[in-house]
Amino acid sequence: MQSFLENHPRLRHSLGRALWYLLTFVVAIAVNFFLPRLGEQSPIDTLIARAGESLDTATAREQEAAYLKEFGLVEVDAQGNIIRQPDGHPVRTSLGAQFVRYLSLSLQGDLGTSILQYPKSVNEIIRAAVPWTIALQLPAIVLGWLCGNLLGALAAYRRGFFDKGLYPLALLMSAVPAFCAGILLVFLFSIELEWFPAVGGYDDSRLVGFTWDFIASAAHYYVLPFLSIFCITLGHQAIGMRSMCIYELGTDYIKYSKVLGIQESKILMYMFRNAMLPQLTGLGLALGAMIGGALITEMIFSYPGLGMTILTAIQGNDYPLITGTTLLITVTVLLANFTVDLLIGFLDPRVAHGQREKR
Amino acid sequence: MQDPVLSVEALSAHYLTRAGLEVRAVDGVSFSLREGEILGIAGESGCGKTTLVNACMGLFLPPLLHGAGDVKVDGVSILGMQPEQYRSRVLGRMVSMIPQGALNSLNPTRRIKDMASDMILSHEARADRREIHERLRERFERIGLDAAHVLNAYPVELPAGIKQRVVIGISTLLNPKIVIADEPTSALDVSTQKSVIRLLFELMDAGIVASMLFITHELPLLRHVATRIAVMYAGEFIEVGPTEDVIFHGLAPYTRALMGSMLSIDPAAGQNRPIALEGAPPDLKLPIVGCRFAARCREARPDCNETAQTLRSVGSREVRCRYVE
Amino acid sequence: MLSGLFKSPLFVTGLVLFGLTLLVAFVTPWVFEIDVDRRVGLAYMPPSAEHWLGTDHLGVDLVSLHVVGLRASLYVGLVSGVVATIVGTVIGVYGGYKGGFIDDLLNSLTNLFLVIPSLVVLILLSSSFEEGRSLTLIALIIGGTTWTWTARAVRAQASSLKSRDHVSLARINGYGTFGILTLHILPYLLSYLFMVFVLQTATGILTEASLSMLGLGPHDSVSLGRILDEAVKNEALLDGAWWAFLPATLLITLIAFSLYVINTSMEGVFNPRLRK
Repeated sequence: MQSFLENHPRLRHSLGRALWYLLTFVVAIAVNFFLPRLGEQSPIDTLIARAGESLDTATAREQEAAYLKEFGLVEVDAQGNIIRQPDGHPVRTSLGAQFVRYLSLSLQGDLGTSILQYPKSVNEIIRAAVPWTIALQLPAIVLGWLCGNLLGALAAYRRGFFDKGLYPLALLMSAVPAFCAGILLVFLFSIELEWFPAVGGYDDSRLVGFTWDFIASAAHYYVLPFLSIFCITLGHQAIGMRSMCIYELGTDYIKYSKVLGIQESKILMYMFRNAMLPQLTGLGLALGAMIGGALITEMIFSYPGLGMTILTAIQGNDYPLITGTTLLITVTVLLANFTVDLLIGFLDPRVAHGQREKR
Repeated sequence: MQDPVLSVEALSAHYLTRAGLEVRAVDGVSFSLREGEILGIAGESGCGKTTLVNACMGLFLPPLLHGAGDVKVDGVSILGMQPEQYRSRVLGRMVSMIPQGALNSLNPTRRIKDMASDMILSHEARADRREIHERLRERFERIGLDAAHVLNAYPVELPAGIKQRVVIGISTLLNPKIVIADEPTSALDVSTQKSVIRLLFELMDAGIVASMLFITHELPLLRHVATRIAVMYAGEFIEVGPTEDVIFHGLAPYTRALMGSMLSIDPAAGQNRPIALEGAPPDLKLPIVGCRFAARCREARPDCNETAQTLRSVGSREVRCRYVE
Repeated sequence: MLSGLFKSPLFVTGLVLFGLTLLVAFVTPWVFEIDVDRRVGLAYMPPSAEHWLGTDHLGVDLVSLHVVGLRASLYVGLVSGVVATIVGTVIGVYGGYKGGFIDDLLNSLTNLFLVIPSLVVLILLSSSFEEGRSLTLIALIIGGTTWTWTARAVRAQASSLKSRDHVSLARINGYGTFGILTLHILPYLLSYLFMVFVLQTATGILTEASLSMLGLGPHDSVSLGRILDEAVKNEALLDGAWWAFLPATLLITLIAFSLYVINTSMEGVFNPRLRK
């Protein structure tokens, strides 16, 4: 095994990265678990206390028992009854044991039960919201990335009017925070001009489903949130790509290619391909951050994606839902980073060579 | 007498500064190269060597502009062509350059064979793929490279000496008449330097390359390589003549000063120090009256500052100084 | 170098815009009476001669709210900027200079913070401090989680500086690590650090706004983000009560934009290749 790994430095490097990401994942889960519990009282305790306040003693006790069992806060015997101390108080599981339970459940994909929308499971709620988020973000990010890079490359190569006009505009678009753009768009196109609806993912009066009616309505509601993400991404990419292309155009190898008489189209291809590499990294990372990337934008439009999910969860102190969503966000970011890490080793020979050289 | 391969006639080139001033980096340079000749160009940094070289190729990339004069290769003017014609007929074919800093001249994300193919295809659009690979393999083997390995490699995988050979190989792929070598050995160790110079000689002997312009600031190298030497100062040629004569029996005061300072650099150590004499070259933005070296010349006489100097023949050489016999 | 900065139209524009926001924050109180606790009218009254920006959902004067909110947001931005810059610089400069094992360790730490989304950490942290969420606490938390970019950038700079002559000289002369870092490396990074600080401040202001809009903002204070949060919560958007959210949005945009422009222009001046 040892010699096999030695002969395949690329594989060893990839395994090393995988291990690192696994470690990071465990840290992330720990962070996810322990951070909300930093305050004096466990949030769930607060909720249980609050829930029990308004009910009469018997019902309150039942409800409390149900919560305690549900969230793994107490020791339970074989029949599922709470083990109680002589004075009647339930035996609390230690924080460490709670964490282990949380860890094992999370790895199995069980993110717990929502408090606010009890007894719906967190998975259920997230599963309903994620498709909306992806449907909004994926096209907006990919298209914004493509158009932004093309415009940036064009501006770098054909200086002059195009560049002088584009650059300030792109700068403006990239400097405006995403949610501000969202608010401005809503204000302009929704409130003032009334071209597009301001709130929601679709018209409430219609039935959800794959009917043409519904899709058309959803599309109508889609435009503004899509535009805000698209424009911001475009601005960012254009600026970045322009800088990269300007840098590439000044390199020795481009000069040499010109000296050799290599065709302009080929030289452009050189510039584009080499400037693209860091941009691809950016795309990978943006897609990874997709799930949690436009939370605020979605909120502003009350778009039924993860943004709204986490907002209502925070407002209602629904901790399992909050931690479930954050865990999902973290996992996708980690996966995306790992994938990008691996891919760049294949796409850029300089990186691949560096990997081979290590030790 | 054979026609010269390269004929440079009163070539002038200038830079346009941001303020709109002209910096005449090359001012009325004329010389010719015959087949089999290697002309070494020597001078301080900033004398216009690199600009001259770019101008001789017709490579006027902004802010460098063509002022006056002509460059002819085999009797054909290369400065008057349409851009597309110029690119496909002149660059890489009639005149080719081996750049300074050859180590970073290869596209890092492209295999050697692909970049070399790009070069060929840019000039011979209809070339057959297999034929190209065969040509590359043959040529690379001929210049002493392990073609199978090198052609498929990326630049980052190759050591400096091999990369230098690759660059020479690519630059001479289309058998250019004239090759311009701009400090081709400055980043290499001594033994690699020697093999690279040997390669250049071989290319000339084999007829792959007809003549060469060689720029360097290392005196021993200059002596070893060049058949003739041109000494350049402030955009002009000061002295042109056979190697040994110019180095050891320089006529113009500047030549002697330059060679003296170059000699003082220990040749055995092979130091890559730029040559520096006392004082500084004149500001080329301003109109210059009289001899350009007069301000720093030890043998200057009062009227050196007043009359312009012209290049005149003295024996086997051309000298730009009136007080030389 | 400074004169080059002032010659750049981009830099001057950014500076002027930022100055404008400072003006609004600190000069307005001289003109108007600022009181965020007093109800001066009904909810969501449109702008009038007396109250230039109308009232919010509680009937409080919005001009007051915006001025106080602006100052709070600037405060959070600055504090988080300082914290993030310091943390990032210390980690970056130490790792970059020392190299080897320490560098690897600090690098892994940076990567850890980099890869775990800071918004996630912020959400989780903020949700556990319900009552105690002061402006300062939020600023500290933001500063403590958004330093990764700075650490990376500073490390690269320190790494390239350590091979310079004067550093080697200092080492020979017996200077300790701390001495070298403070006397021979940091002074050369000052302009770079300023650029980094500007970006971190912008990040801080935006992150605070995002947090507030999620309902995790400062508990008892006003900030620009909270103004927006209240506007969205109370459906000011739908009612068309533009005075409740538009000025705050514009202010946030203005600050972020001016800071980014300042940063980009500094990049253009310090990195001449882009200047063409």
